[in-house]
Amino acid sequence: MTIVMIVNDQRHLPRCGCSITLSTVGEELLPLIIHVKNLVKRYGELVALDHLSLDIKEGEIFGLLGPNGSGKSTAINCILSLLSYDKGEVEIFGRKMAPDAYDIKRDIGIVMQNVAVFDELTVYENIDYFCGLYVRNKAERKRLVEEAIAFVELDDFRKFYPKKLSGGLLRRLNIACGIAHKPKLIILDEPTVAVDPQSRNKILEGIERLNAQGATIVYTSHYMEEVEQLCSRIVIIDKGRVIASGTNEELKAMITLGEKITIEAFSIDAEQLRQMRELPGIVSVEHIDKRLIIKSGKGTNNLETVLDFLKTHQIGFGRIYSELPTLNDVFLEITGKQLRD
Amino acid sequence: MFTHIFIYRFKCLIRDRQLVFWTLLFPILLGTFFYMAFSNLNNEETFKPIDAAVVNDSAYQQDSQLRMVMQSVSKGKDRLFNLKTASNQAEADNWLKQDKIDGYYTSGEEIKLTVKETGISQSIMKSFVDQYRTSSSAVTNIAKKNPKALQNGLLKDVGEQRSYTKEVSGGSAEPNNVLNYFYSLIAMACLYGSFWGMKEVTDIQADITDRAARVNMAPVHKLEAFLAGSCAALIILFVEIMILLAYLQFGLNISFGQRTGYVLLTALIGSVLGISFGAFIGAVIKAGEGLKIACLIVVTNLGSFLAGMMYMNMKYLIATYVPPLAWLNPVNLLTDAFYALYYYDSLHRYALNMGMMVLFIIFFCAGTYLIVRRRKYASI
Repeated sequence: MTIVMIVNDQRHLPRCGCSITLSTVGEELLPLIIHVKNLVKRYGELVALDHLSLDIKEGEIFGLLGPNGSGKSTAINCILSLLSYDKGEVEIFGRKMAPDAYDIKRDIGIVMQNVAVFDELTVYENIDYFCGLYVRNKAERKRLVEEAIAFVELDDFRKFYPKKLSGGLLRRLNIACGIAHKPKLIILDEPTVAVDPQSRNKILEGIERLNAQGATIVYTSHYMEEVEQLCSRIVIIDKGRVIASGTNEELKAMITLGEKITIEAFSIDAEQLRQMRELPGIVSVEHIDKRLIIKSGKGTNNLETVLDFLKTHQIGFGRIYSELPTLNDVFLEITGKQLRD
Repeated sequence: MFTHIFIYRFKCLIRDRQLVFWTLLFPILLGTFFYMAFSNLNNEETFKPIDAAVVNDSAYQQDSQLRMVMQSVSKGKDRLFNLKTASNQAEADNWLKQDKIDGYYTSGEEIKLTVKETGISQSIMKSFVDQYRTSSSAVTNIAKKNPKALQNGLLKDVGEQRSYTKEVSGGSAEPNNVLNYFYSLIAMACLYGSFWGMKEVTDIQADITDRAARVNMAPVHKLEAFLAGSCAALIILFVEIMILLAYLQFGLNISFGQRTGYVLLTALIGSVLGISFGAFIGAVIKAGEGLKIACLIVVTNLGSFLAGMMYMNMKYLIATYVPPLAWLNPVNLLTDAFYALYYYDSLHRYALNMGMMVLFIIFFCAGTYLIVRRRKYASI
């Protein structure tokens, strides 16, 4: 259910002080930070966004998940009024978004997919420059820049030029430039692409801290593990359309898969394979490259059954492990293709 | 906000070493090479007396008219010959072999010119003797038919040279073809400032760079950001052109005439022209940065060539055979404005060049504005 009401609680009001659409999450009423309705964007014959609708609530880490080319960045650019669109409505903080909606822009921080900093400016100067586009007061700006540098742990590199930074440090600088002015809404467009695991973890931890400090996060990625780890609510899009949405658990509950068992170094004949497929609770059995991948339905623990079958038929095997379904499995079941295709 | 953006754009631009090289150091280096290559060009054009000799034999002694003429053209500052008198032909031959003279005359029924090789000096010596023969023959014929003519000043009339074309000087300065090389060099430096203009547009168009997209997302009017950046670019370019002018004037002694104020105004307009041209190309061409840079280099260098920077006569060939091209070439307009200031007393030609440049600036700025003002992009 979605209702519209005027909020009197000033803590939740954006600086523009306009009306806010509220939405229920369980028992809780939360203001909508972003409201997108029937967004259509075409590039000639190609429909990049096909009646895309999204509602993003205050305080959540919202994940926009989809394979490369699914329309994630296009959606973000349309929402931010950087890209023109053919049809639809976009509201941010309850107000229509437009290129000259400076009151709205003042409360938005954007972290681009590619590193968007100036090679001729040092780390400190880059952050100060972008922060200065939002904050006029010099003393306040200085404080915010120092906080941003500390936040991304670039204190030892403040006088470095971007070319002297590693990929991970560059990504952190990119984030600092987007968040230094303490925005209420932070949009991160695949901020961990081509980043080493250590830097990735730092970035993800940082995003969680930003959220804990009160920022609403919109996080786009094609890395399902990140989205699973980070996001309180997830929308999966493909070909510009929303194909599923909900929490991590809600999404996984949508599919029939309950467990995936993989058995390595495996040798089995066709008759045994047929018999295994007929075991109770088994959804599918695939024999690929000396590996047996067994998918079972929900609510049944088939690992024991499978092991019994292997012992009874004296079938030798190597490593064996069981996995719970991932968002990739959700995507696979809905679209019939891998998320990373 | 304007000041904040201006300061940081200034830092960004001035720290771009590649741009500083091409817009400041490269023209200075090129100017130095020009100076080394062309410094003697004007000196070579001034006439030097020809080293000539005459064989002082009996025939020469008897030909008083020739002796008188030879003496008269071998005297004074503007003399035609550095004339030596050889006692005999062998001595004259010896001088000729040793390259002490370019040729020698021997008197007789016909005056004979002996040279070792062909060249400008030898041609002049031949022309001189031909003219002498013609005049001498004319006097003899007239005197035979009309002896009284000699008394009526025939010799004076024949000796008198009249020119039937009148040379009108356009200004008080000495014509100096070499200056055109240096003026076109300054014009090229101004147009190289287009790189600064292109950089400004690149960093403001969200469909070109991610940095620009980030700037577009800030609560700043795009044109305010663009103007602040362009002002920073203009100041840097103008200072660079000032440094170049100072180096040319005080380091290489290149004259810019007496009208310093107008020279500075021309440099300023040239800088604005360069920046606006670069911004226009940056905005109009949607392809990659490489293509934009290539376009700027081609237009600037081709314009410099047509303005006579590599081949001096090209400027005059264009003005003669394709005059519209001369008016459509910004490098030529700037070059010509500097030369008009140096050479002409009147400001008419200068004003025409400046007017055309201002029109170009208006065109480039309007075009850039129409493209840059777009608030949303069709694709990023």
